[in-house]
Amino acid sequence: MTSDFHPSPLAFEPSKFTRPFWDACRRHVLQAASCNACGHLFLPAGPVCPQCWSADLGAEALSGRGEIAAFTIYRQAYHPDYPVPYVIALIALKEGPRLISNIVGCAPESVASGMSVTVRFASRGEFVLPLFVPAMAEDSNDA
Amino acid sequence: MAVHRAVIAGIGHTAFGRFVGRTALDLEAEAVLQAISDAGLAKHDVDGLITDPGPTQGVINGITPHFLTLGQHLGLSPDFVGSEVLGGASSAASIQRAVMAIEAGLCSVCVCVYGDAALSSPGSFAYGRGEESVFGFFGATGLHALAAQRHMAHYGTRPEHFAEVAIAARAHAARTPHAQLREPLDLDGYLASRLVAEPLRRADCCLISDGAAAVVVCAADRARDMRRAPVSILGFGQAHSLCTWSSPGHFDALPAARCGPATLERAGLAINDIDVVLLYDCFTIAVLMQLEDYGFCKKGEAGPFVEGGRIGPGGSLPVNTSGGLMAEGYGGGMMHVIEAVRHLRGEAGDRQIKGAQTALISGHGLGMNTHATLILGQ
Repeated sequence: MTSDFHPSPLAFEPSKFTRPFWDACRRHVLQAASCNACGHLFLPAGPVCPQCWSADLGAEALSGRGEIAAFTIYRQAYHPDYPVPYVIALIALKEGPRLISNIVGCAPESVASGMSVTVRFASRGEFVLPLFVPAMAEDSNDA
Repeated sequence: MAVHRAVIAGIGHTAFGRFVGRTALDLEAEAVLQAISDAGLAKHDVDGLITDPGPTQGVINGITPHFLTLGQHLGLSPDFVGSEVLGGASSAASIQRAVMAIEAGLCSVCVCVYGDAALSSPGSFAYGRGEESVFGFFGATGLHALAAQRHMAHYGTRPEHFAEVAIAARAHAARTPHAQLREPLDLDGYLASRLVAEPLRRADCCLISDGAAAVVVCAADRARDMRRAPVSILGFGQAHSLCTWSSPGHFDALPAARCGPATLERAGLAINDIDVVLLYDCFTIAVLMQLEDYGFCKKGEAGPFVEGGRIGPGGSLPVNTSGGLMAEGYGGGMMHVIEAVRHLRGEAGDRQIKGAQTALISGHGLGMNTHATLILGQ
């Protein structure tokens, strides 16, 4: 059931609110929107703080560390740009926000709930994407 | 018991399957004509129209004024119109909107119709939503797979538990003459079904269908002399979680946990008073989560709860007696309403729940964001 009539997801246009997130990824910085009124950190960025409705917003760089809150291994291809298998995971970042991303740098079968992960930036199409690798793998790469 | 001043007076639907050459529009027209005829009414009686455009017309192609297209072809000039775009919660929500419009005096005979030709539009469910699709996060299956994986990790739910839901649906459908998928399924067959997004298999997913279903909601005073015994509307409610999946708790409970109990209270009923249970079954995990969130069992215990064929035919809690979205056909959620009406009229044939007096219908939609509950009675 591949879908060749939809444009590639890699051709999307960020909104005025999410563009700073993607621009930061180009600098290999993972950032969340931050509320200057209540301190809430959130993703995706938007017009007001979803917690207190303040429009006084900024951005804060995150550690890029977190754990896997949930994941799935895609076994059916949906789009030619995304060959299977690949892992989609919901990452709970250390600082609170959660985001959807891929787990790379390990066999899909080795991914587990609660696994510690670290961001690794990778270029795809026009974008630099914040992907995640098992924390141990990243540490050994750094060494 | 609070009873609304509107009733269900007529039902109608097409066959469900692959009907190449048919369009959503002509399927919807067929369902509407049947439902109006079932109610003993005629075209000139219709003064309200609410449409549920379905996945390919609504979610995929964007929201056009769907009621306008259908209304134009049916030659209607109603006093009240709308299109529900709550995904899988749309059908139940459309009945609610019709009741509210009738009680507000805006119209007296409102047709609610779901229709789509989704099976004849290959690939149409392979959509992404939002910027997350850049990671390859496509389709409703991946989303529900995250919830299923989380349920397994937190509560020890096993593939055999998901299988119970799929197997029960097929067993129910075997007693439903118009069902799209009537072949039985057993555990081996379930486990042989190919993986789509782990842990979900093809057999965990509902059908994709061409088909349409319509329900006529009518002012209660007007329904007294109609040809069919009216079905009462005992209560309804909605709850929505508009936050994205990035919000804490999003995969742990559905908005059903709020609107289920609230709707039962409005109807003056407890969950054990419900005779006919029709839960929106886009994926097996959605049924398990709703069994918990509606209070049929405790949080985390839906897996063991469904063991031993409990929700199948002859079980102590038959769920989706028509076979539901998984086997009867994808009817948006309107077919759940129609199945409830059939039981309450005593017209459910081999699958009739004896003495059925109450029915609960749920709708669950978009990225687990929307939920609607409807309780019907004799």
